[in-house]
Amino acid sequence: MSLLEVENLSIGYQTRKGFLKAVEGVSFTLEKGKSLGFVGESGCGKTTIGMALMGLLPNNAMIVEGRILFEGEDLVKMSDDQMRRIRGKKIAMIFQAAMNALNPVLRVDDQIAEAVLAHDPDCSNEDAKKQVASLYDLVGIPRERMGDYPHQYSGGMKQRAIIAMALSCRPALIIADEPTTALDVIVQDQILKEIKNLQKKFNISIIFISHDISIVADVCHDIGVMYAGQLVEYGKREEVFDSPIHPYTHALLASYPTLTGERETLKSIQGETPNLIHPPDACRFCERCSRSGTTCGIETPVWAEKSRTHRVLCCMPERSA
Amino acid sequence: MGGKKPDTSGPLLHARKVGITPVEINKRKLIIELAGVSKFYRSKSSFFKEQRDAIIALDKISLKIFEGEIFGLVGESGSGKTTTGRLIVKLEEPNEGKIYLGENEITGLRGKPLKDFRLKVQMTFQDPYQSLNPQISIYDTIAEPLIIHRLGNAAKQQAKVREAMTSVKLSPPDDFFYRFPHQLSGGQRQRVAIARAMVLKPRFVVADEPTSMLDASISAQIFNILLEIRQKYNMTLLFISHSLAAARYLCDRIAVIYRGTLVETGPAEEIIQNPKHPYTQALIDALPKFARHEGAIRYDTLLRPQRQDSAYDCCCPFFNCCKIRDPWKCGREKPHMEKIGEAHEVACFFLKEQKN
Repeated sequence: MSLLEVENLSIGYQTRKGFLKAVEGVSFTLEKGKSLGFVGESGCGKTTIGMALMGLLPNNAMIVEGRILFEGEDLVKMSDDQMRRIRGKKIAMIFQAAMNALNPVLRVDDQIAEAVLAHDPDCSNEDAKKQVASLYDLVGIPRERMGDYPHQYSGGMKQRAIIAMALSCRPALIIADEPTTALDVIVQDQILKEIKNLQKKFNISIIFISHDISIVADVCHDIGVMYAGQLVEYGKREEVFDSPIHPYTHALLASYPTLTGERETLKSIQGETPNLIHPPDACRFCERCSRSGTTCGIETPVWAEKSRTHRVLCCMPERSA
Repeated sequence: MGGKKPDTSGPLLHARKVGITPVEINKRKLIIELAGVSKFYRSKSSFFKEQRDAIIALDKISLKIFEGEIFGLVGESGSGKTTTGRLIVKLEEPNEGKIYLGENEITGLRGKPLKDFRLKVQMTFQDPYQSLNPQISIYDTIAEPLIIHRLGNAAKQQAKVREAMTSVKLSPPDDFFYRFPHQLSGGQRQRVAIARAMVLKPRFVVADEPTSMLDASISAQIFNILLEIRQKYNMTLLFISHSLAAARYLCDRIAVIYRGTLVETGPAEEIIQNPKHPYTQALIDALPKFARHEGAIRYDTLLRPQRQDSAYDCCCPFFNCCKIRDPWKCGREKPHMEKIGEAHEVACFFLKEQKN
């Protein structure tokens, strides 16, 4: 049994302008100890998936259909109370913008101890502090900084503290939502290494959410490329990056500046993402696609399997292969 | 990798076509020069709080930017790259040193000469979500510099705004005239900010991390717009960034800055393929590599990632984090910029050893 199985998940938001279909028909599985990355532009639904897994969707959101099977249990059907016991304990999240994820008026170690105490009421305060100290060693912040307030930390240290908090209950799954977006390249490199090490050490599964394709390429075993609420390509890292099929994946790769090889002209993706309140029935990427055929604007694309692990949502996958 | 010279023939990219070789650079007209510029920030003292030591944001920086080039300034946050940009556009005054625009010194300008200076030098800011006034329509935002400088009548101004908007690919421009910033996406906002800087046709533009708040796929578009504008108007750009990969794509020359000190300057390709300073090497190591780029060299020069503020004045700024340091040399003296190639300068004591 896989740790996490998501089947045909669709999520929408009730907005003033109508019902916005943020995520549609997303399916994936995640094994224990593996990592999965979601890439896509802002507004493609990656964070919505993360929030749905945590059971933290806002009030105006609705899971329209689909199942989220975590250790065999359906999270969609769970009550708030049941969900609260899983959240933080078994599924933890590293939030976007660590700068704002810590409470500025509480000491950092107290905030992490709170996470420990919340899931283990028998734990004494002293024990919790001891656990926090070992977490600090784990993520590489000196222990003497435990009693500091968040504003005394640098950006990288705050991010490490957030990771320590996510690890505090030894979760089986961590969702990392743009964990390094606000950080410098050197700090980013350190944090990514830290996450990779911890993942190996504790055999945690990680879902990585990022708009930066290079970060996902660095960390993840499997990769899902998302566009306008749909998963458009899914496969192993090597498959997706070395032999991408979907034109959107091609476009993402071509728009990223590299350090090695020839200095090639970057190709930006023209146009805007479609309106998700009235999404087109046909392929959603069609208007911006460089190789769309005559039928792309009419046909609804279906999943084509290139290998057992590599699949793509495109009307003409053979054309771009 | 290695010493492969970039191909300059065949179906060329626009980035390469206008690329400047080091020899040409010396013939070009100097447009901006910083000579020994320092900037300190002092915290205010009060009755209850003693004044702390000044924070040295820039420590005797000297650099030259030539007409028509895109000059990249790369470094981590807090290294002083934005301060450099702000000094050049005179949003701040240096505490030491002089800045020249062409022949003229610009430090200490006031009044009318300052206003004339602003016609020639403009800046775009990092965060397009904060740099545009939410109450002013896109047309008024872009036309404001023209109105301030009293350039042309209303019809001419409109034509200029239209041209600026077309050059940043906000088309058709008329559709955007009466929209407000909140109706635009991040990429569109940044393009409005660029159009606002371009509308005066300045000679020099400082672009402060124009893509750090944007998605990777939109960044490419902004980069290409900057390249096109440079070619079209023969503008000179200072591109400030923390990503060497972006700087490589856009820039002719790159300067790497660390804790307020320039550590390496040189032609872009040379800096990327043949970095000499351990900090530049650490920056290259830190960039995530795609699976298909596994052949890249690892320099492994970073001792520890955290910056430490000790013994700032007397030693090499990178001393605390450097793996190849020599405590007897680097810990006691600050290395100066030394020429090691046609236009390649490095501030490190270990160059001689590296050469062999």
